[in-house]
Amino acid sequence: GQEFQFGSCRVEGVVLQELWAAFRAVKDVVQAQDNITGVRLLRKEVLQNVSDAESCYLSQALLKFYLDTVFKNYHGKAAEFRILKSFSTLANNFIAITSRLRPSQENEMFSISESARRRFLLFQREFKQLDIEAALTKAFGEVDILLTWMEKFYQ
Amino acid sequence: DGVAVLPAPQNLSVQSTNMKHLLTWSPVVVPGEIIDYSVEYQGEYESLYMSHIWIPSSWCSPTENPECDITDDITATVLYNLRVRATLGSQTSAWSTLKHPFNRNSTILTPPGLEVSNDGFHLVIKLEDLGPQFEFLVAYWRREPGAKEHIKMVRNGGVPVLLETAEPGAAYCVKAQTFVKAIGRHSAFSQAECVKLQGEALSL
Repeated sequence: GQEFQFGSCRVEGVVLQELWAAFRAVKDVVQAQDNITGVRLLRKEVLQNVSDAESCYLSQALLKFYLDTVFKNYHGKAAEFRILKSFSTLANNFIAITSRLRPSQENEMFSISESARRRFLLFQREFKQLDIEAALTKAFGEVDILLTWMEKFYQ
Repeated sequence: DGVAVLPAPQNLSVQSTNMKHLLTWSPVVVPGEIIDYSVEYQGEYESLYMSHIWIPSSWCSPTENPECDITDDITATVLYNLRVRATLGSQTSAWSTLKHPFNRNSTILTPPGLEVSNDGFHLVIKLEDLGPQFEFLVAYWRREPGAKEHIKMVRNGGVPVLLETAEPGAAYCVKAQTFVKAIGRHSAFSQAECVKLQGEALSL
């Protein structure tokens, strides 16, 4: 069966198609709220040419940010737009993935984890430059960019 | 606001087989009255980050039956809390919550149903249609000493699949097991079903 292989981090028990189905059900409603079209949080510099070794660190950082910041603070909007079911599917599958990610803490991986951290900080800095409401809306609307990147590691 | 005079539903439990999850409870009985029930769920995310948030079930908010198909609500392989309450007019009971959270990875996986057929030249099987979550591993061999076992992955049930162009008059046996990606588990193998080409299926 298929699983995520972020370098040495393997994650079973998540069906990527379920995540895509959940996001596609809400994509139009969510992205219609994003008025800042000239800005992209998950820019090329964040996600392009990520090595397998980096991918475990970067996916953990990004998914935890989505859980701790984006989903947590976007929940009210999700209830307002009546998209709680899809929202819950995405959030709980992100929980399923992060709970199974075990990035190596060994010293020789320090430079790789640092490289992943710089990528994540690029994303986080972009997020913080926006008004919080706009940033949450844009970040939730960019879940398709995140899923597209994660799909490269779904084998 | 209705005062909670109705007794809360009791004996909540989940029966899950082949990724179909059914929540059941003991009915609340008020002679001569029809009781409605409402079911709500929260996944691990809601219970960790916003434990006051519960989401109405897709099919059972409300329902008159003391059971609820929660399959469409359980969409991640994490723990889910489930709760039910009864309603009669303006009266509502307290919520009753499932004692142990449910995770779909505990579902019971049964060996798949299997039909073997042939037209004298081709060995064809049709597997039970268990839904999109299921893939199948099929093992088949010629029924003769020392025969090699062949393996084939089948993505979907419910449609005929050509296993092999076979030798007329030879006897073949087939067995299958399911695999569910969402939980990374597979079922036991089904009973082997044997067929002699140009003959009737022989059950072991």
